[in-house]
Amino acid sequence: MTDCPNGVMRDQLPGYVHGLLSAAEVSIVDAHLEGCEDCRAEVALLGKARVALSLGVPRIDVASVVSVLPAPPVTLRRAPHSTSRRLAVAGAWKYAAAAALVLAVGSSALWHRARGTTDQHVADSSSVVVPETTAAVLPAQSEDGITFGGGLSDLSLDDLQSLLGQLDSVKTLPSTNPESMTPIISLKEGGKSL
Amino acid sequence: MGGPNREDDATVDLELIARWQGGDQRAASEIVERHAQALARFAASHGVRDVVDELVQDTFVRAFNSLESFRADSSLRTWLFTILKRLMLDRRRSERRASNRVALEEDHAVQEFNALDGMVADEALVRVQQAVARLSPLQREVFTLRVSEGLPYVDIARIVESTEGACRVHYHNAMRAVKEYLNDD
Repeated sequence: MTDCPNGVMRDQLPGYVHGLLSAAEVSIVDAHLEGCEDCRAEVALLGKARVALSLGVPRIDVASVVSVLPAPPVTLRRAPHSTSRRLAVAGAWKYAAAAALVLAVGSSALWHRARGTTDQHVADSSSVVVPETTAAVLPAQSEDGITFGGGLSDLSLDDLQSLLGQLDSVKTLPSTNPESMTPIISLKEGGKSL
Repeated sequence: MGGPNREDDATVDLELIARWQGGDQRAASEIVERHAQALARFAASHGVRDVVDELVQDTFVRAFNSLESFRADSSLRTWLFTILKRLMLDRRRSERRASNRVALEEDHAVQEFNALDGMVADEALVRVQQAVARLSPLQREVFTLRVSEGLPYVDIARIVESTEGACRVHYHNAMRAVKEYLNDD
């Protein structure tokens, strides 16, 4: 048994035996084999060697191998229902945040209200002087004839109905150029300006 | 080489990997089914027949544990062969340390190879086995991967950590040695 001098062709022979060549490559090898006894002998040897290398090799039990393999990674991911659960948790947080905000605003308002009462008490012991110019900005009666001053609880039912009737003629839009108001407040304590 | 069949095989392997990563456990069975015997043949050619199934199992366990690192720049089978080769080297090193004995010599490998196969194979096949067993370890690896699995030189070079050109030389030298052994009859 000798070697064919065509090394390129001999390199193709294992792939030829295994059926790994393309149709074009197979036809080239077939054409070469017709005229090359060395390559025909080598193809026969390759087939024999392939069988010989398989002899005595234990058959692998696929099931026992698979039984010790790790689980697919997808089982470690979240279950499908967990998305809605995540959204529910996020919604709960939103509600909690909204509740906290309402509580904060409410407490702040209460605190300011309480403080306002205190300030009023403080103001009793001092005097607040509002300049006449500022006072003049606040008319006792608007142009529309609605009188301000006092509380709604002081009005009778007829007055309220009359007031509601007048609301129809009230201008809903504010003036585009409101007058500037600069209240000047001076607190006096013990006769001294602060 | 790298003909259409090999490309089809690579595509099938990639699809199976994707299926397994998507949670399909049956894809793992198909992957093992496709490659287990090739790995067993390679392990057996190293004269470690008593632990072939253990080595093959360890190869798959290691491969599936790091399947996300498989980049598909080589075929799955080539990658599996690479893992198996490392496992065999690790085993050989640990055996050397443990028993403080010299690793299996070539002649010993020949005897073990023949003792197991002589009972079941015909004379011609036994002679081929003997010829292969007499090759150097590197020649035997290259010859086995080329003849038994039909791997291209580029993949063999990856597995045995050598160059494509060196693997071609090893293959042709191995083939010549086998022919000479058989011609001596």
